Parts: sequence; C-alpha cells; structure tokens
Amino acid sequence: MMLALNEIRRGRGRFASIIAALSLIVFLVLTLAALADGLFFGATGAVRSTNATAYAFSPDAKGSLIRSSMTPEQVREVSSDPGVATASGVGVLLTAGTAPSGEYDVAVFGVQPDGAGVPTTLTDGRLPQPGENGTAAIDQELAYEGVAIGDSITVGTQSAEVVGVVRDSSYQLQPTVWTSLDTWRAMRNEVRPEFTGVTDDVNAVAIITDSGVTAEQVQSEVGDLTVLSAEATGLAIPGVEQQSSTLNSIIYTALAVAALVVALFFALVVLEKRELFAALKALGTSTRKLGAGVVLQAIIASAIGVVIGALASRGLGAIVPDEVPTLFRTETLITISIFTLVAGVVGAAFSLRRIARIDPATAIGGTL
Amino acid sequence: MNDDFVPAHPQDPGLDPAQDAGSHADAILKVEDVSKIYRSGDTEVHAVSSATMAVDQGEFVALLGPSGSGKTTLISMIGGLLSPTTGSITLAGTDVAALSKRELTAFRAERVGFVFQAANLVPFLTARENLLYVSTLQKRISRKEAHARADQLLEELGLAARAKNVPEQLSGGERQRVAIGRALMNDPDLILVDEPTAALDTKLGRQVVELLAREIKQRGKTGIMVTHDLRMVEYTDRVFEILDGHLTHVEQPSALAH
Repeated sequence: MMLALNEIRRGRGRFASIIAALSLIVFLVLTLAALADGLFFGATGAVRSTNATAYAFSPDAKGSLIRSSMTPEQVREVSSDPGVATASGVGVLLTAGTAPSGEYDVAVFGVQPDGAGVPTTLTDGRLPQPGENGTAAIDQELAYEGVAIGDSITVGTQSAEVVGVVRDSSYQLQPTVWTSLDTWRAMRNEVRPEFTGVTDDVNAVAIITDSGVTAEQVQSEVGDLTVLSAEATGLAIPGVEQQSSTLNSIIYTALAVAALVVALFFALVVLEKRELFAALKALGTSTRKLGAGVVLQAIIASAIGVVIGALASRGLGAIVPDEVPTLFRTETLITISIFTLVAGVVGAAFSLRRIARIDPATAIGGTL
Repeated sequence: MNDDFVPAHPQDPGLDPAQDAGSHADAILKVEDVSKIYRSGDTEVHAVSSATMAVDQGEFVALLGPSGSGKTTLISMIGGLLSPTTGSITLAGTDVAALSKRELTAFRAERVGFVFQAANLVPFLTARENLLYVSTLQKRISRKEAHARADQLLEELGLAARAKNVPEQLSGGERQRVAIGRALMNDPDLILVDEPTAALDTKLGRQVVELLAREIKQRGKTGIMVTHDLRMVEYTDRVFEILDGHLTHVEQPSALAH
C-alpha cells in the first residue's frame, strides 16, 4: 500500500501516461456506447415505451411491424388465446407530416386508446381518447422541433390535432405520432393508394399478457403467427441488432485494448524495477505484497481513467449536434466502469508471474 | 562461476576452521560445514565448500575475497536468500536452512538487516519512509515505536535534515547512510553488508564503513561485511577470507597480500 500509493504520488509523470491512455479508451468506449444506446433507444422507443408486453405478427413478416399485415379476425383470435389479457391492433406508417412549423419525417402509429400498444410515457397534455378520431399525441422530438399542442399535423389531406406529448417513443429514429386506428388508416390510404378501400386491417397485434406469461407461451397458442416479446420486437426492427452487435464488438475490442495497455505498462514497470523488487524481497517483502501493490496501482489508474474518460465523453455529448442520436445512461456508465476496472486488474495480473520469478538472491553481489 | 576452479579439498593455509568455531561456543551465528553446489549439465560447481565460521554477538567481521570466490553465495546463504546444499546455519538458535520460503521472508524482515552495494533505496519514498517501510514487514515493533525509532536513527546517522528527501536528492554517502538506518530499523540479530563502498569514493567509503562499525558496536549487533577492499578491514574485529569457495579465518588482515 505504502509503496504503491507513494509511487503514484511521487511518480505522476509516469502514471500520467497510463492514465491518459486509459482515459482515451474509456472516452472512446463511452462515446460509442452513448451512440449505441442512442441508436437502440431511438429505433425501439415505439415498442418499448408502451403498455404492450408482446407483439404478434403475420407469419411472413419476420417480426417486422411494417411488413406484417393482419385482419380483424386474427386480432380477435389472439385476444381470445389463454394467457392474453388484452390484444389490439397496431398500425404503422412511415411518411412525412406537415405542421405549422415545418415538414417532418414521422412514424404514424394507430392504436386503440383503451387497448394494448399505447404509450405510457406521457409528459404533457393527454392521449387520444377511445372513439376519438382526428387527434394525436406526438413524440417529444417533434415538440423540440417546434410542434406544439393545438397544432395540427397533416398527412396528405388528413389532419390530426396535437393533444399531448410522449417521450422516448421514436421508431427507427423517426419521431412518432400516436393516433386512433381509423385516423391512421385514413392517412395510410392517402399515402399508399393500393390500400384504397381497405377499412379494417392492421399491421400487427399488441398484446398485454397475463402476469407470468411469456411471449413463448403465447406463441404456442397462436399457431402460425409470430409472437415476440416487446424487447425482441425492438431487436427485430431492421438494423437494430446489427447496429448493436457492431458497436458492442468495437466496445469490447476497446476494453480488450485497455487490458493490453495496462498489461504492457506494468510489464515495463516491473521489468524496470527488477532490481528494486529483488532488494525489497531480500528485505523481507513477500511476492504477494508486491503483486497486490501492482494490482492496486492498476485499479487506481483505471478508476482515474474512468472518471476523466466519462467527463470528456459527457463533455462531447453536450456539444454534439442533436441529429446524432446519443444517449448517456447511468447503467451503461456503471457497466463500462466495472469492465474497465476488470480490464485493468486482468492486465496487471499478467505481471504477477514476472514478479514471482524475481529472485531476491540477485539483490546481493550486484554488478558494480 | 568459472569452470576451471578447483573443487578439491585443499589444505587450509590459515587456522583450522573447525577449531576456530569451537572457540566461539556461544556464537550468535554458527555456520557449520556449509557447501553450495551448482550443477550445470554434468559439471558440479562448488561455489562454497565446507565453510565453517562462528561469529559472536557484538562482533563485526569482514569477509574478504575476489569476485567469483563464493563470498556472495556464502553471505546469501547466511542471510536466508539461498539454501545451502549441505551443512547448517544457525542464527540465535534458528536453523536457517530448515525454514520454508515463507518463513525465510519473515526471517529476513525481522532478523537480518541488509546493506546492499548500491544502497537500493526505494526511489519514490523519502529517507524516513524508506526506514518506515521495512518496519511494516515485521510485527515486533509497533507503528508508533517505529516512527520514533526512524527519527532517532536518522538523527544518529546525521540525516535528520534530509528525512523528507527522496534518494534522488541525496548524495551517494547519504544514501548509503539511509541504507544503514534501514538495516538497523527492525533491530535485527545480524547485519549483512555487501560491498558498501562499491559505489563510493575512498574517503566516503571509509566514512560509511566507520559509521557502520560504530553503529554495530554501540548497539551490540553482529555484522558481516563482504568486501574486496583491504583498506576497509581495519574497522572490523576479525577477517575471513574466501578463495575458490574455501573459507579461512585470517589472523592478521595486514598479512593479506592480494
């Protein structure tokens, strides 16, 4: 302890290099993680921030809301299955909407206000009421862009009056507009003329399962339909899983690099201190004590690296343009902090064998 | 070790070591018939052959010998850094050769003080902290006593003003004085000194050895100094000479003609 701490205190220059390297890695990892989280949350909000616990899709849809198409009979069948508390249709339309403040790319969601798949993240105003057409709740992103309660959002010739604001509800990085199934269908039929005359279809079925019932259990009841949990529905959105795994593999690689950097640093430090360690062993210092000192130093360097890296990453997050979907989550920070500390300890552990091999007898009869 | 050195049983030119040991029946350190044999392939190298010596409490003895003579091997065995191939080493009743590796670590911390050739102080600790550090390796002296002892030692060694300096800020002589303080810190039974003047000029070297001899005498400690410098033996009580692994007690240091 005394050795390890004083060495860092009096040898700041040397430890500054390892701390700087670790800070940069942590900065990189946290920034990538913020981007990964931002992309993930931005893509999946519409299926995470609702009261639905699972979604059912038509057999050929491969779990995609947009590709799926279902009839009212299928919705009714699902709602009568055991384990399903509530089931109702969900319609999705990716389009452009016009508001007084401008034109926006939006995802219009048609839901049944007293059913399943309704947002639970209302921050202002209210949601459309059951039986009410021509009203909508908008995602917070649109509110930030200048759309306000009382404005109307128009798709083609169909309008909806904004009555409320919900947060964390975007879909494929597009802000959402939540309206009734009828209003959604009217908008959809304007934009997609091939649907003209279709009056009762939906894309998928949002399900609230009975407590303790999993999506897999529902799946076994519904025959050829695909049932996914809300979480799995998020991952099934095209690109989401690929994005997550790409960014995560970069993050894990960077953490492995952190372990390697620490390993190399302490390998050099130990190599340089062979003579001193031999003398300390001759004086009666145990290998365990010397090893514990190196591990402690690695933990301190990693911890300081985490603090500096986290601050720098948050600093970047504050100046990054809004179009870049970044999200700084405490959970992610804690996870990455722990991983970095573990990487530091693992890296330092590579030096322990080297320390153990130093022979105290070499302290006597030096080469002078 | 050179391959050409003679691992024989030569006639001792000096006194018979066995007899010499006999005259120190109450000796604090007894080295009895100790050999260290290194094997490299088919060759056996006798680094130390049947060494016997006894040192009384309060004695400061010199171990003279040219490089490769086995003096480093012998002192390493006495200090618990190497195990003898045969023979026994007893320090104040403890059979050093019988100790496990872990016990040897504790033995070195509590019972032996080392002064190395190049001081080998911890570069990132102050003079005072270098002394205190070794006190953390033992359990006999309390923390509070250790602080008082470190201050007292630094005072005695003329280092009171340098207590807060790190080794880099100290002169070679000062560093070696801190090393002496460190060796005395844990109140050991035996102080082993390895070529203390190797890194110093003659004048400083003399001062350091003189100080070492005085501290050992004043405290009634026992010391062994390895050296190849004949001029340093005048500060010691007795002289042993080692040549090609054979240890002999020399009556008159001045009789040595290396």
